[in-house]
Amino acid sequence: MSDRVLRISLLIVSTAGVAVSTYLTYVHYQPAALICTGSGGCETVQDSSYAVLVGVPVAVLGIGAWIAALVLTLWNSEFARTLTAALAIGSLAFVAYLVILQLFVIDAICIWCMVNDLILVPALTLLALLRLRTAPDV
Amino acid sequence: MPKPSAASKRGRTLVIAIAVAIAIAAALVAASILTRENGGDAATTETTSTGTTTDAANPTLAVVAGIRQTGTVLGNPEATVRLLQFEDLQCPICKKYTDNAFPAIVDEYVRPGLVKVDFRGLAFLGPDSEKALRIVVASGYQNKLWEVAELFYANQGEENSGWVTDSLIDEILAEVPGLDAAKVKTDAKSAAVTKEIAAIQAEATALKVPGTPWFFVGIGLNPPYEIRPTTLEPSAFRFALDDALKG
Repeated sequence: MSDRVLRISLLIVSTAGVAVSTYLTYVHYQPAALICTGSGGCETVQDSSYAVLVGVPVAVLGIGAWIAALVLTLWNSEFARTLTAALAIGSLAFVAYLVILQLFVIDAICIWCMVNDLILVPALTLLALLRLRTAPDV
Repeated sequence: MPKPSAASKRGRTLVIAIAVAIAIAAALVAASILTRENGGDAATTETTSTGTTTDAANPTLAVVAGIRQTGTVLGNPEATVRLLQFEDLQCPICKKYTDNAFPAIVDEYVRPGLVKVDFRGLAFLGPDSEKALRIVVASGYQNKLWEVAELFYANQGEENSGWVTDSLIDEILAEVPGLDAAKVKTDAKSAAVTKEIAAIQAEATALKVPGTPWFFVGIGLNPPYEIRPTTLEPSAFRFALDDALKG
């Protein structure tokens, strides 16, 4: 896979990440927008004490991380590639913790959180690592 | 001494960056755990860990104290404006509404006799919803529905965790002055309660209620219209209620 294709894929994944995190942040600050529909535990997860970290909603941290990934992808340099990979691996470690919380501690699953945690962040990690391998020697 | 190659420099940078990223992730996890242990869920623990009504719940019960009740309706039966609340006793957002907005609505509109509130209980989240709803609806036959509903919210547990136990029901019913608990439990199993719950569900379906909490305002005999508060704070409801009171 060429660097160009990987970079476009990273931009798509990062944009999706920003969108999902923005939605979750909106829901966090607009509780009336999140009703109990019986289709999942989003309301339980968003209402749990784990949804806020040192006063900052976890969804806001997500927006920050995804915007960073987007900017690093746009900044097409070897250093940015390295930082993207590091950001992705750090994020993967943190979302693993969030998944464990949902499955075993909060005992409820937020579908949009899971989309972020199980699809977008692993995709970011895979693409960022693949992109490292395609990096030209300087 | 040979100069390190570009590849080895890049490798070293990568290792350092990943180490820093993992350290940040570990710090976030630690902060999450510590924040939580330092009382992040203190309020919830207070009302749910014992499975009983705690002192913290009693002020909630006082919200509806002394207000006339007629079946599912709280407030002056002659009030022209009616606020319909579709809710599920297991729904955490309904609890948030009950904690945040409901007391002010009662103080400002129901207690002065301007607005009456109509409980429209749904049980779509699971077995605990239905078990609690049957008890609440049956309490309405003794005009004590609102006290019992308030107490269920104050003791709300995790969705479908089996939190609506027989002992919790006994404790809640014992908290309500003047309530015949044995009659409530008998009525809760009756066909009349089944029919009433089915009628509310049919009404919700007809009104296209997508989930809970969901609100409608009715003026006089006119069909109720949907309101969509932007938050679950009292201010979000004042506009709709004031508007309805103007006719």
